[in-house]
This record gives sequence, C-alpha cells and structure tokens, in this order.
Amino acid sequence: MSVTRRQFAVGSAAAAGAAAFPFPRPAIAQSEPIRLGWLAAMTGPSSAPAVGFNRGVVWAAEQINAAGGVKGRKIEVITRDTQGDPTKAVNATQEMISALKVHAVWGPTNSGESLAVTPIMARAKMPNIHPCVVDSLIDTTKFPNAFRLAPSNTQWDDAVRGYCLKIVGAKKVAIIGDTTGYGVAAANASATGFAKDGGEVVYKANIDATQPDMTPDMLRARNAGAQAIVVWSTSTGMDARLFNTRATMGWDVPFVGHPSMSSGEIAGLVDKPANWEKVYAIGYRSCSYDDAGKLPQRNQELVDKLKGKVNLADTLLWWVAGGIDAVNLVAKAVETGSSSGEDIIKYWNSVKKYPGYFGDYTFSPTEHNGYPTEDVVMSAASTAKDGTFKLAPGYKA
Amino acid sequence: MLTSILASGLAVGAIYALIGIAYNTMFSASRVMSFTAGQLGMLGGVLGSLFVLRLGLPFVVGLLVTLACCALVGILTEIVAVRPVLKSLDQHLYVLSTLALALMIQHAVAVLWSTEPHPFPRVFGPASGGITDEKFWLPILTCIAAIVALELLYRRTLVGRAFLAIAEDNFAARALGLPERDLRIASYALAGMIGALAGFAGGALLLAFVGNGPLLNFYGFVPVALGGLGNNRGAIVGGFALGIFQQAANFLVGGIFSSVAVFVLFIIVLLAAPQGLFGAPATRRV
Repeated sequence: MSVTRRQFAVGSAAAAGAAAFPFPRPAIAQSEPIRLGWLAAMTGPSSAPAVGFNRGVVWAAEQINAAGGVKGRKIEVITRDTQGDPTKAVNATQEMISALKVHAVWGPTNSGESLAVTPIMARAKMPNIHPCVVDSLIDTTKFPNAFRLAPSNTQWDDAVRGYCLKIVGAKKVAIIGDTTGYGVAAANASATGFAKDGGEVVYKANIDATQPDMTPDMLRARNAGAQAIVVWSTSTGMDARLFNTRATMGWDVPFVGHPSMSSGEIAGLVDKPANWEKVYAIGYRSCSYDDAGKLPQRNQELVDKLKGKVNLADTLLWWVAGGIDAVNLVAKAVETGSSSGEDIIKYWNSVKKYPGYFGDYTFSPTEHNGYPTEDVVMSAASTAKDGTFKLAPGYKA
Repeated sequence: MLTSILASGLAVGAIYALIGIAYNTMFSASRVMSFTAGQLGMLGGVLGSLFVLRLGLPFVVGLLVTLACCALVGILTEIVAVRPVLKSLDQHLYVLSTLALALMIQHAVAVLWSTEPHPFPRVFGPASGGITDEKFWLPILTCIAAIVALELLYRRTLVGRAFLAIAEDNFAARALGLPERDLRIASYALAGMIGALAGFAGGALLLAFVGNGPLLNFYGFVPVALGGLGNNRGAIVGGFALGIFQQAANFLVGGIFSSVAVFVLFIIVLLAAPQGLFGAPATRRV
C-alpha cells in the first residue's frame, strides 16, 4: 500500500495532535489494591525513624485490610529501603512511578533524600506525604503534590523560642549549634527569631561536635548572662558533654532545643542521671504524658491497642503514630471517592483538623504544612517511657 | 580557667602525642606515613567499650584484648596498605593506600558498631566531673608510661635495638642479617598497640565514637610534623603543646576558630622550621 504525501501529512498532524493531549493518569480501578509506595531508610546510620514509622505503617495496613480494606480494596504497601542515600531514593522513586505505578508515596524519611525526590514526584504529579523538616520541601507552587505530616524546622524553632520566652521567661539566651550545615543554619535562624520576638541572644556559638571539653563555651554563656541555652545539634555526644559541663560548673540553667537531647543514648553518656534533668527537647503534645503518666485520650487508646503487637520500647511513639496516620490519610482519600492521584491531592487539600494519632492535620491548596504548631511542645528529655515523654513544666495539660 | 586549660589541654595533648608516636613507629620501620594511626586510636576506644561495657569482660582483660586486636589491625595495615607500595616510595602511593584502608576501617566500624558516641568504662569509679577526674589524668599517666616502656624497649632490649637499626638504615640492617620484614611487621603491631592505648586511655574524654578516627588522624599528625618525622621526643612535646594551645584557643577565641588558630600556628612553625622543631635538616652526601 502506498502512502501519499497528503496522507502522511494528515497522519503526522493527527499523531502530533494526539501527543499534545496528555495520557489520562490511570484511575484507581474499583477492585485493584491501593498501592502505597513507602520510601524508607530502613538500614544505615539514620534508620531509627524509618524503623519506627514502618511499625505504624505495617500495623495500620493490617488493621485496614483485616477490616475488609477500603471499599473492598486492600492496602498494598510497597517498601523500598533507601538506606539514607539520595541516589537510592531517586531510583526507588522512579521505579514506583514508572514500573510499580503506585497511587501515592509516603516518605522519604530524611530531608536529604526528600530534597532529591520531591521534584521528580512533582513532575509525575504523584501524591506525596512525608515527615521531613527542611522548610523548602513544601512549596505549593513548585510542588503542589507534596504534603508534610510533621512540623517544619520553622515550627520547631517557633516552639523552642516560645517556650524560652513565654514559659521559662528567659529573655537572654545562649544559642549553641554544631558545626554541620544543619547546626549553623538552625542556630542562625534561631538567633534571628529570638531577636525578632524581643529576646536577646547574649552568646551564639557553633562547636565541633567532637570537642572533648565544653567548658569554654559554657563559661562564656554564663558570663554573658544566659538564662537558657538553646541547642541545635544532632550530636548526642555534644549534648551529653554540655550537660556534664553544666553540672561541673554548678549552674542550673535550662537547656531547650533539638529532639536529639532526649535520645536514649544520652543516659549512658551523662556522668550521673541528675545531669540530664532540666533539659527540654522538642516533643509533641499528642505523644507527651502528664504528671499522672497519662497520654491524651486518643493516643492512650492507641498505645493500649498496640500493646503486645507493636514494640514501643526502642522507638518513639510519634514515629509509629505518623506511620499510621500516613496510611490512614491515603485510605481516607480513597474512601471519600478519590480515584486518581489528582483526586488524592484534591482530597488532602480539603483536609481540616483530620484527627490523626500524631496530630490534627489541616491542609489547604496554599498550605501543605499540615501539623499544628501549637502541638509542638517541649518534653522533659530524660523521661522516655514507651516512646513517649513527660510534658515539660509550664504547659497546660 | 588556667586549671581547666591545663587539665584538658594536657589530657588531649597526651592522646595526640601517643597517636604521633604511633605515626612515628610505623614511619621509622617503613618510611611510610600511615594514615591509619588515628583509626587505631578510635578503635582503642570503640573496642574498649565493646569488650568491657557491652561484653562485660574484666577491665584488664578488655584492655589486653583491645591491644591484641589493634596490633592485628597494625599488621593488616603493613600487609595490605604498606608492603605493596614499598618499592615505589617516591611515588607516595602509600598516601592513597593507607587512607583507603583508614576509610574502610571507619566505615566498617560505623556499620558494625554505630555512628553515635557510646560511653566508655570508668576504671576508678564514677566521674567526679572536676579536674581530678580520671578522664584528665589517665591519658597523661598512660602517655608517660608508654614513653618509659618504649625507651626501655629501644635502649635495653635486643629487639628494640634491632628496631632502631632498621629505622637508622634498613639496607645496612639487612646486610647485617636482621629480618627487616619481620621487624617491620612487629613495628606495625607495636604502633597498633600504642594507638589502642591512646584511644583506651582517652575513652572517657573522647567517648567510644567512630568520629574520633578522622579527628585523631588529623591532630595526631600535627605533633609529628611539628616535632620532626620519626622523632618521638618531638611528637611528645608537639602533642602536649598542641593540646594546651588548642584548649587555650577554645577559651580565648571560641571553638569554631580554635582549629583555625591551631593551623595558623602549625603553618608558621613549618615556615620557620620545615624539618620540624626537633628534626634535623635533610642532608645528602655528594
């Protein structure tokens, strides 16, 4: 059969015209499972959060499936271990989008990986919810598909500053960060925030986390009149040395800051348990117990349900609760009639005070930081109990 | 302030000095600057914590097993990273091979142990926190004991004299029938034990932490360069001076600038005396 020039031209135009219209994204068929991609750094140096989140993810999926699924459809969690490596996270994301054709992605669990994969998921319009703290990961214009389930760095900073200024009553603070990129950036942002809100930063320093003696910086902070010391570091060794030095100096200044100060490893690094008192690390109201040892009712019920099924002794409750909430938010989207990725995003954009275990989330088309700032609170760092902490003094229970 | 500078400065300086001696011990036997010295110090702390705290071995047994393990790492360094490049010393391939091995050790410890600091066992009871705490005086005491032991080894024993002979002129030593290769292996084992002692004695101060490897590699090299390559007395003086200067800089200019201050001084000293403060200028017979 011969093809005339006219037929070829018409055919080409038709093909070009068809290509100009995007292929419709596959809707969620009524019977197929809901495929949830789970990008988790399950191994490697920063695996602790993902291991905790995973316990919640597995438990939530099992609960939903045991109850018959969402409108008869099972939740299928497809996990890829990214090992904390952005390259592996990128590969896993591509696989989830192109080969596995997941309906939504939960994770990654650290900001380095998330910075690498967020633009990729945005191009594919993949509904993505994650717990990473770096502020730039949420941008409703550039990444309209990306939602944050946990607080951002700014929300952490606001909570720490609020506790120092309003509850402790410390107007003069010393800010200490480590010398990593995170430590320097967080300390600078914190200092700017204090100055803006009427606090006085009397001493600011970045210390090498391996520095064996913290006496010089602590003496300078005391001589400058600091009433609280704000710490921005992920180094538990540095935290413990600061606490030990404070005790040696006989100074009772409170430490307020990064959640690493409540890490269980510190128990073995402080010279005596008392050195870890009067240390307040970032925590969450939903996962903090009161003077009577009780959690908020919703989470007390959750902990009771998890007892014997999910180990909370070596993890944090907010990680487990966050994993449960992520699965439930996807399930809820499907339950309310979402049949495509765009529908899931549309549903999430309409969520107002969704009652999760980790927090009550609110999203809108212009705000994808869903965690309520007022629920970011300080915890008494040395009071860990089954992944929860005692609410720091000064808050109303 | 002065007591604090002296207490922690001398303690850290003693650890740097011991790492410097480990560098020198390996250098004397092979003319190779092995950048695994800092990792040996790190291993001393990590293995000490593993054997005594985690596995519950008695302190002395834990120390002996740690010394033995680090001696093996020293021997491994000689076989894997040093021996293959000895024939082409002028190309300085040992920088690459020893650094590669150091990185492998670092990553293995990070994976098998942890990336977080862990506590180190206390020899003489709970910490007092003050300047009388064992974390300050134990490294100094250990450093002095190691110096005395090494002096006795080198001056009073046949093996020690053989070490000195190959350090002086390994061709002549070989011509006299000394087993150069065996002595080199023994030197690397000895360096492993000296590095382990540094990490073990400084464990309470530096903690059992994988991050100590690069730190000790770096700061342990400074006294060697300051004191003159292969010169143990120079490394000891350089180590203590570095510790005190670093701690004084921490007090006077702050932590983030103290490293800058240390390396400014380091460069000034090397500009004034390129062979190190105690090293002899290189001479060549013509």
